[in-house]
Amino acid sequence: MPFELMSGSQAAAVAVQRAGIDLVVAYPITPQTAIVETLANFDARGELGGDFVSVESEYAALACCYGAAAAGARVFTATASHGLAYMHEMIHWCSGARVPIVMANVNRTIGAPWCLDPDQGDSLSQRDTGWLQIYCSGAQEVLDTIIQAFLLSEELLLPCMVVFDGFYISHTYEAVDVPEEDKARAFVGKPSFKAQVRPGSPANMHGLTTGDNQIHLIRERHDAMQRAPGLLKSINSRFMETFERGYDVIDSVIAPGVKTVIMAAGATAETVRWSLPGLNNTGLIQLRMFRPFPCEDLRSVIEAHGVEKVIVIDRNCSTGMGGIFAQELRSAIYEMENPPAVQDIILAGGIDLTYEMLKKIIEQEKTEGHLEQTWGVDLR
Amino acid sequence: MEEMFEFRLHGRGGQGIVVAASIFAEAVFLDGNYARAFSLFGAERRGAPVTAFIRISRDRLMPRSRIYQPDYVVVFDSSLAVETSVAGLKEGGTLLVNAGESEDGNLFINTTRKNNYNIYAVDATEIAWKYKLAIGSFPMVNTVMLGAMASLSGFASLESLTNSIKKRVTARLEANISAVSEGYESVKEVKRLVT
Repeated sequence: MPFELMSGSQAAAVAVQRAGIDLVVAYPITPQTAIVETLANFDARGELGGDFVSVESEYAALACCYGAAAAGARVFTATASHGLAYMHEMIHWCSGARVPIVMANVNRTIGAPWCLDPDQGDSLSQRDTGWLQIYCSGAQEVLDTIIQAFLLSEELLLPCMVVFDGFYISHTYEAVDVPEEDKARAFVGKPSFKAQVRPGSPANMHGLTTGDNQIHLIRERHDAMQRAPGLLKSINSRFMETFERGYDVIDSVIAPGVKTVIMAAGATAETVRWSLPGLNNTGLIQLRMFRPFPCEDLRSVIEAHGVEKVIVIDRNCSTGMGGIFAQELRSAIYEMENPPAVQDIILAGGIDLTYEMLKKIIEQEKTEGHLEQTWGVDLR
Repeated sequence: MEEMFEFRLHGRGGQGIVVAASIFAEAVFLDGNYARAFSLFGAERRGAPVTAFIRISRDRLMPRSRIYQPDYVVVFDSSLAVETSVAGLKEGGTLLVNAGESEDGNLFINTTRKNNYNIYAVDATEIAWKYKLAIGSFPMVNTVMLGAMASLSGFASLESLTNSIKKRVTARLEANISAVSEGYESVKEVKRLVT
């Protein structure tokens, strides 16, 4: 039976096991604990197919991933919120060192005060660290994206964060089409990137350099990033041939004549997708890839449909400016000939998005005209 | 938008309502509908109020929001706050309470203010004790409640529920399967004593 009822976190773990992994590095934190727990269960049953290491902190987890990836191993870890923040220095180091790593981050608000709701501020605060970031809207997408992420990360030699919402995805049990192990392993293949370190040939890595050298390295990373949208598309077309489903860099649902679209990333995108039939003449752009920001894809879909307004769902807030996805979109469309108006809906603190709120947003425009920024709590 | 049926489960940490929600969702799925189960909790601790949700639809696509206007409210512990539990329950909806002859259970049922939904009770605590389903002095009522939920709603057959339990429950399997059947058989409609 290919369909199984599992949570988003379990789906992430199953993806790692199916893809074929050399090393899982584990340190638990709510709401991602079920990911490493499920992987620990695979390990206990002898089904992981790689090594499983428990470490003493998130910082150590990523340091351990770095070392193994430098030796040519395919590695995975998972974290959330404060765990991700604690990794911060290593997050930079791993992208600078050009090692492939796949890491799941389950969105959870960063304190103070303590809060478990899925604000995206944890992963978005790592925007400029040189990691690829892909946001998923459900358990199936989490599973499929992690499988694809290994190939993307290993080809570009850039670490990749696969991100999804705590509870609304991580703790939601739903039907997931689980790929057979042989089929998934044949799709991903063995890791083919070159090891940076080898036993028997000691080397001093990443020693002191100057800005004049560093700028070339940063430029190479930037260029590699720019290849990501095209590469993910080609990985995805092969995925679609094998598994008969797939996802683009952005996934849009825009009927002919529709001029208003809602842009959302993560779980809220699926709430919008479900709500569309009840929202008069409104479309959806599901933003999947966030780093690199898919400027070209966004501009071309906006231009092709003559989109006049984009309502951005931001389950985050860069205080002093506003929602981060809205900021990024505004930059991407600035040079367009007829850029759409952008309205930013802020669901900071990871608050819930409902169909009723979406209806209010669409109604609001008729009575109040264009609003630049709306706080989610005012829509209840 | 396909029609959806929504359940909200109220219980306390340690009663197994999160597991119950996933077992129910799996049974519903085995019987041909799509179902999702999810939960909200803070720092996990025994005795603290826990809420779980189940959504059922013919369509795989469903919203990822909480459930504010459920068709079914299932109360695993009748000492929980009444108004919070029944908040938003749809007109004509169903309230299922773990309540027997005990004072607490009747109190819960008698203090539900509105009249526009149907109330059912099953003495899950009593049945759980009968099958010695308990952790210490804490009765595990979840499988009994599952039986009652299935028989009231018709979304899951006793057979699928049993199969799902076999997959997800390892301890006291036979006792749990008997508890499900007894919950399925013994749920009954109740009237408020005072109106």
